[in-house]
Amino acid sequence: MSRFFTTGSDSESESSLSGEELAPKPVGGNYGKQPLLLSEDEEDTKRVVRSAKDKRFEELTNLIRTIRNAMKIRDVTKCLEEFELLGKAFGKAKSIVDKEGVPRFYIRILADLEDYLNELWEDKEGKKKMNKNNAKALSTLRQKIRKYNRDYEAQITSYKQNPEQSADEDAEKNEEDSEGSSSSDEDEDGLSATSFLKKKSEAPSGESRKFLKKMEDEDEDSEDSEDDEDWGSDSTSSDSDSEEDDGKYTLLASKFLKKESTTDKKAAEKKREDKAKKKHDRKSKRLDEEEEDNEGGEWERVRGGAPLVKPKMFAKGTEITHAIVVKKLNEILQARGKKGTDRAAQIELLQLLVQIAAENNLGEGVIVKIKFNIIASLYDYNPNLATYMKPEMWQKCLDCINELMDILFANPNIFVGENILEESENLSNFEQPLRVRGCILTLVERMDEEFTKIMQNTDPHSQEYVEHLKDEARVCAIIERVQRYLQEKGTTEEICRIYLRRVLHTYYKFDYKAHQRQLAPPEGSSKSEQDQAENEGEDSAVLMERLCKYIYAKDRTDRIRTCAILCHIYHHALHSRWYQARDLMLMSHLQDNIQHADPPVQILYNRTMVQLGICAFRQGLTKDAHNALLDIQSSGRAKELLGQGLLLRSLQERNQEQEKVERRRQVPFHLHINLELLECVYLVSAMLLEIPYMAAHESDARRRMISKQFHHQLRVGERQPLLGPPESMREHVVAASKAMKMGDWKTCHSFIINEKMNGKVWDLFPEANKVRTMLVRKIQEESLRTYLFTYSSVYDSISMETLSDMFQLDLPTVHSIISKMIISEELMASLDQPTQTVVMHRTEPTAQQNLALQLAEKLGSLVENNERVFDHKQGTYGGYFRDQKDGYRKNEGGYMRRGGYRQQQSQTSY
Amino acid sequence: MASRKEGTGSASTTSTSAAGAASGKGKGKGGSGDSAVKQVQIDGLVVLKIIKHYQEEGQGNEVVQGVLLGLVVEDRLEITNCFPFPQHTEDDADFDEVQYQMEMMRSLRHVNIDHLHVGWYQSTYYGSFVTRALLDSQFSYQHAIEESVVLIYDPIKTAQGSLSLKAYRLTPKLMEVCKEKDFSPEALKKANITFEHMFEEVPIIIKNSHLINVLMWELEKKSAVADKHELLSLASSNHLGKSLQLLMDRVDEMSQDIVKYNTYMRNTSKQQQQKHQYQQRRQQENQQRQSRGEPPLPEEDMSKLFKPLQPPARMDSLLIAGQINTYCQNIKEFTAQNLGKLFMAQALQEYNN
Repeated sequence: MSRFFTTGSDSESESSLSGEELAPKPVGGNYGKQPLLLSEDEEDTKRVVRSAKDKRFEELTNLIRTIRNAMKIRDVTKCLEEFELLGKAFGKAKSIVDKEGVPRFYIRILADLEDYLNELWEDKEGKKKMNKNNAKALSTLRQKIRKYNRDYEAQITSYKQNPEQSADEDAEKNEEDSEGSSSSDEDEDGLSATSFLKKKSEAPSGESRKFLKKMEDEDEDSEDSEDDEDWGSDSTSSDSDSEEDDGKYTLLASKFLKKESTTDKKAAEKKREDKAKKKHDRKSKRLDEEEEDNEGGEWERVRGGAPLVKPKMFAKGTEITHAIVVKKLNEILQARGKKGTDRAAQIELLQLLVQIAAENNLGEGVIVKIKFNIIASLYDYNPNLATYMKPEMWQKCLDCINELMDILFANPNIFVGENILEESENLSNFEQPLRVRGCILTLVERMDEEFTKIMQNTDPHSQEYVEHLKDEARVCAIIERVQRYLQEKGTTEEICRIYLRRVLHTYYKFDYKAHQRQLAPPEGSSKSEQDQAENEGEDSAVLMERLCKYIYAKDRTDRIRTCAILCHIYHHALHSRWYQARDLMLMSHLQDNIQHADPPVQILYNRTMVQLGICAFRQGLTKDAHNALLDIQSSGRAKELLGQGLLLRSLQERNQEQEKVERRRQVPFHLHINLELLECVYLVSAMLLEIPYMAAHESDARRRMISKQFHHQLRVGERQPLLGPPESMREHVVAASKAMKMGDWKTCHSFIINEKMNGKVWDLFPEANKVRTMLVRKIQEESLRTYLFTYSSVYDSISMETLSDMFQLDLPTVHSIISKMIISEELMASLDQPTQTVVMHRTEPTAQQNLALQLAEKLGSLVENNERVFDHKQGTYGGYFRDQKDGYRKNEGGYMRRGGYRQQQSQTSY
Repeated sequence: MASRKEGTGSASTTSTSAAGAASGKGKGKGGSGDSAVKQVQIDGLVVLKIIKHYQEEGQGNEVVQGVLLGLVVEDRLEITNCFPFPQHTEDDADFDEVQYQMEMMRSLRHVNIDHLHVGWYQSTYYGSFVTRALLDSQFSYQHAIEESVVLIYDPIKTAQGSLSLKAYRLTPKLMEVCKEKDFSPEALKKANITFEHMFEEVPIIIKNSHLINVLMWELEKKSAVADKHELLSLASSNHLGKSLQLLMDRVDEMSQDIVKYNTYMRNTSKQQQQKHQYQQRRQQENQQRQSRGEPPLPEEDMSKLFKPLQPPARMDSLLIAGQINTYCQNIKEFTAQNLGKLFMAQALQEYNN
């Protein structure tokens, strides 16, 4: 900071100087050195003497200068062009170079250019902003210079180690050649050594400023134009630029003061400091927009504190009236949104204004109005949509909204609304109802969004997240208050919107109280008072029902209704009300048109489907669970589809913009659905479906997979060269599947339900024990089925009692399962009632028969294909053969009949 | 023990193969009228060596191959000796097969054995030998040495009790086609070649010297009961299942091939249509221009605009068809034999009861 001040004063002092020098600027044109050169006749004559060497070196130095200029304006294309010219010129000067050695300035430009390019290369942000030509030139130039510099490696490293010294030597050598040095030398000569330190930074900067100015003229970007608005910042920024520039000049200049070695050292030191600063400066400049904006704010405060300080206090003695306050308010608000307005200060001012208004008893109307504006400017504090509010701002915002609500509740005669025009506002007339423009609903919605943003941007595993999450209750409370307020005053539309907010904050929470009440309904009376008090709150189910029904009835925008339905279903599913949830889902017909909805709604839909699937699983409806989860799981992108994280894989496919948008869509962590639970539920239900199916259709060639993912897991399991005890959830399921395939339900059971799996998955359910018992029973049943499918060919008959013992199922269950299998023609058997046995019929085809059937099928398709070729051939002949073809068809009736038979076959096989 | 068994085996095979040769002759006459070789006479030694080679090195569906040596006498090819190709391993990739063969033949010549190259032999797995590789190598053999044959030895059938050794040659027609290297549908149609006309089977006679025959007689007397139960084995499902599986695979391939061909046909006709449309449009335009007095558009190269599609090679489908045919023959033969055996077993059962 201090540096800016000093430079600021510097610029003032030298403004006259630079002003003078600025005058010849337009004449200078691109080769700004020329006019200066002409003025110095002595040197000109000197140069004629040593023309052979000079000419070449002058050429080089000129080129180097252009390169440096191009570097400064980041014109890499120009750099590339000039660099190529430089290489050529250097080649021409080879004979001289051989004699004299490689000139220092040449090495210097090479080293500088490489550093510069590396810096540019490193600067990812800047690179992105670069236009295509520049970016392309950058990479080519970078490669070229790397290659080129290899030849001069030794010199460059020595230069880098000791830039000053080499510069000194160099300067000595190039005393007369270097125009830059001659100009500064001119300046320097007139000064005493004592004043050197101060002067040094001025003179060359003044001189170099000229170039800089010119550059700015040529290449006027937004930053510059912004700077041009006020002189102070311009001078500082250009100064810092010019210092960067004068690096080389001062280096040369310092040589002239070699005699005074102490001052020289100091100068060198200062130089180094400057350099470091410069670097820092340059870096900070390239920070992203947002920071630049912030910086801008800071600049403003330093420079133009005056205009903002003024309105802080009203002039003493002014009578504070509504009109004045409102006028002041508008004055403050006018600065809003403008570049360089200090938003924090604005908020402070507004708060002061509220105080003043309160102190002077200007009535609630004014206070409400100002409060609205405070909240709005709090929201405005962050110019970027992606960034989130700082915690203190957030707290302030919550407090403010609460206060506002207090006022609104306390004064029922205040009307607020978006549609109240500024002109028709009534802030002062207490006889009539107060009317204030502003929409509390929008504020609350915005607040809710901010809350989501904060949650999205906090590390979910930190204490911070918990702290933030505590605010959720406050957010809910505010929403509830606003809801109450709007219920009295708002339109149905507004009520719908606030209801939806409420719903969105309710649907994902499991209502433990209601759950407990459900578990012990009659004993509730015996519980303690405290419990009763707790129980008094409305059941979330009832609440959801009420809110959603209102929305269903009153809402006219499709989106709110859709969201409400989805939330309602989710809530039902979460509380294991499967049938309600399913019916609602089916009735809403959302499955048909959800793909037209916007992504957030789709994410909500996905979440709902997943929850529905998990709910079905808890109820023991494996098939429904599997179907509900199939879409999400089969894509392998569950994480992305549920908005719970971005996939790394597709990072290349999307650009930054898209990524930002996607990031904004993410669901906060506390709403997440456990993905492992989801996958486990899916895999287990797939196992329960697939294993018996596989056993039943073992030899069927046209067997279809029910779940691809499950098969994939099985295959992965099979590929393992060494099978250790299962570790992960997937391995457990695979191991269990293998056991089930053999009809070994006990092993299967021990794999699915054990300590590890309990910890990982099953304990996450609210009614874990119920789910576990359900699961055991399912495993027993499906294992029984699998066993019968697999080994029925071995048995002539089997006693049901044995089966019931084997699978620890009671006799009626076994009976019903077998009956079901017989009825659905899965098992060719009959039940012998008196002996309680199953008698196998052995109608299953043998392996050969199966093969023969498959072969027949394949031959059928072969013939069909062949026929198609034949048809095709005839088709080209036109209608000539048509009759014949029909005849052919008729003759092939036998074959067609066979086809019919085949179809029957395939039908029965399912 | 081993030698005795082989001895008895070969004794029995002489009779069966003689029968086979007789039937083969009848078949062969039609196909190989103009062929250079009308009969193959194999020395017992060769048969035994081939069998030994397979038993030592072949297993499962791995095939073993070797070189046949012999002499042509009139229209009869006499195969008097053979030697195997060494099994390849990954390590000696630079192993030179030709070099090895030459070396081997030279060595044989030194010990005064027939050293003329007259073909090669190969084992087969369930009769799946009609492949592109076989076609190619037999073509090169027959191209270089006109009278070469390929002997196909089926170890599985042999294990079931009847020696299965068959000699094949490419038909002159197929030789023509292969020389042209043009397997497009038109070329094959012109050559009038079908899967039945690809290979011709040459009848085989196994001949032993009288001394060996005498030895056989002696050995037969000395040996106890010759166990020839393999011939009567009733187990059929494994063999049949395997054959069906292979047959099915080929049918699948065939099906795919047809689909490919079908797409090709469709594409060509589509292209034809486009070409036609283009021509018509061109014509119309030219007429219009003519009526307006402008010069007609220049002729453009149609083949450049519509590149002719690459027709799929039909040789593979022919080979597949040939393979399917062999499978079918095999299965037919096998089932016929088995049916006979079953009836026999039934009769035996009834007799015993």
